[in-house]
Amino acid sequence: MKKKTLFVTGGGSGLGAELVRAAHRRGHHVLCTGRRAIADLPSDFPDLPYLSCDLASAGGAQVTADWVQSHLSGRRVDCALLNAAAGYFRPLSAETPEAISEVLTLNLDANIVLAHRLSGNLEGGTLALIGSVAHKGAAGMPVYSASKAALDGFGRALAQEWRGRVAVRVLHPGPIATGMSARAGRKVDLADRLFLSPRLMARIILDAALAPRGRDRQIIGYLRALRGQILPLGRQAA
Amino acid sequence: MARVLITGAGSGLGAALATQCMGQTAAEVTALDLAPGKPGPHWVVHDMAARDSCIWSGLAQDLRARGPFDLVILNAGINATGPFENVALDAHQAVTAVNLHGPIRLTHMLLAEELLAPHGRLVFVASLSCFTGYPGAASYAASKDGLASFARALRRPLRKSGNICVQLVCPGPMDTPHAAQHAPKGAKADRRLAPGIVAQKVLDASRSKFLIVPGFGATMAAALGRLFPQTMTRIMGRVLFQRLKARP
Ligand SMILES: NC(=O)c1ccc[n+]([C@@H]2O[C@H](COP(=O)([O-])OP(=O)(O)OC[C@H]3O[C@@H](n4cnc5c(N)ncnc54)[C@H](OP(=O)(O)O)[C@@H]3O)[C@@H](O)[C@H]2O)c1
Repeated sequence: MKKKTLFVTGGGSGLGAELVRAAHRRGHHVLCTGRRAIADLPSDFPDLPYLSCDLASAGGAQVTADWVQSHLSGRRVDCALLNAAAGYFRPLSAETPEAISEVLTLNLDANIVLAHRLSGNLEGGTLALIGSVAHKGAAGMPVYSASKAALDGFGRALAQEWRGRVAVRVLHPGPIATGMSARAGRKVDLADRLFLSPRLMARIILDAALAPRGRDRQIIGYLRALRGQILPLGRQAA
Repeated sequence: MARVLITGAGSGLGAALATQCMGQTAAEVTALDLAPGKPGPHWVVHDMAARDSCIWSGLAQDLRARGPFDLVILNAGINATGPFENVALDAHQAVTAVNLHGPIRLTHMLLAEELLAPHGRLVFVASLSCFTGYPGAASYAASKDGLASFARALRRPLRKSGNICVQLVCPGPMDTPHAAQHAPKGAKADRRLAPGIVAQKVLDASRSKFLIVPGFGATMAAALGRLFPQTMTRIMGRVLFQRLKARP
């Protein structure tokens, strides 16, 4: 297997951390950014380049792009997994202008900046945008839904523009047991037992991102997990 | 008398909406845009891309004097066309600010200030690109898909809380300054819908209808986009993006 260079945002916790771990286990070279400080990374976090930077802050995405480029030393990014995101499970009336701006900036604008800045470095590689099944418009989280739908529309257009040069894929996970949902303000209930583990989800997402072929927009949920269990042949090849 | 708020009322579809509202329903129209337009409606000057909270408080104050509104049409929008990486980042950021951040922030403010009258209508103007994809305008496509999903998410809660009817308009190409600026070279203007026709469809739409796709051509394209999303985007790539790319 050829060693690849991956770039993961929001890699210090949640799904992102599992993506980083899975990629690291497979022997890939991983560049990782997140909001938390290095000191706050889990103690068993793999030893790899990490930048702490708030992507929702003014200029945050630019700083992140500079950092990635400074670490590439001529190599290309084989796969960028833009995973960092935030969102709140609450009606619009309970939102604040600051939170609205944070969610739209982090989940959409920062990814536009990263895609724009890294377009040259991605030539021949894959840009994977982590969306959510909520992009269809979830009544409980209007702003988050809007941000993820926007990411979907962005990826859909860009996939067509870059076809043959950079593979662009929007991967929409179903619920994941990372605690994001509880942190977002949703009451924990029976449904949470059905959430896929971040570890399993990360494996499927990494496979989907690194596969030589795949649809531009994909839902990553139970069906996909089942397919992975029944037809595991060749799926690890990437 | 009905009170109406229209954003981006200075030109194109917004101007047509304002004119028809005043002409046919004798509504009290508040028209919002970057600069005052033709006399008639009450003009409120505001930049939808504003980030500064003072600017938004100023707008809230202006609107309190004019509301609550029976009909709000969030129509203001800009575009930036060309290969994604060749369009300056500032232009992409302006698109998402005006087309997505702004309308969401304004909707939030209208709710907070109770400026949406019970039984009123809240109409979002997105684009046919929500069904077809829009290679050559990636940030625009993003903003309009975001707006459409926002409208979907708000539909039920707003109906429950004040019987406010949320609607989504997805117009195809219109014969407006916006289209003339962003259409690829050689596109036929006579194939685009007149904004007046679209405005009429929006104003006449029944409350029971959520999605409004004006015109036969757009309706067909939306149906095909629903059935074959990826194929439709590939076709858009061929008929639109390749020609946009060839633009000097
Ligand atoms: N959890 C779900 O059920 C679910 C379902 C569908 C889709 N998704 C999507 O999957 C992805 C990962 O979600 P998750 O469950 O892992 O969420 P999470 O546990 O809340 O993790 C979010 C990640 O984003 C980072 N982040 C947050 N704000 C940031 C900022 N301002 N600047 C830079 N980084 C920031 C966080 O970093 P720190 O921890 O360092 O602050 C964290 O690593 C997201 O795109 C999410 O929308 C999640």
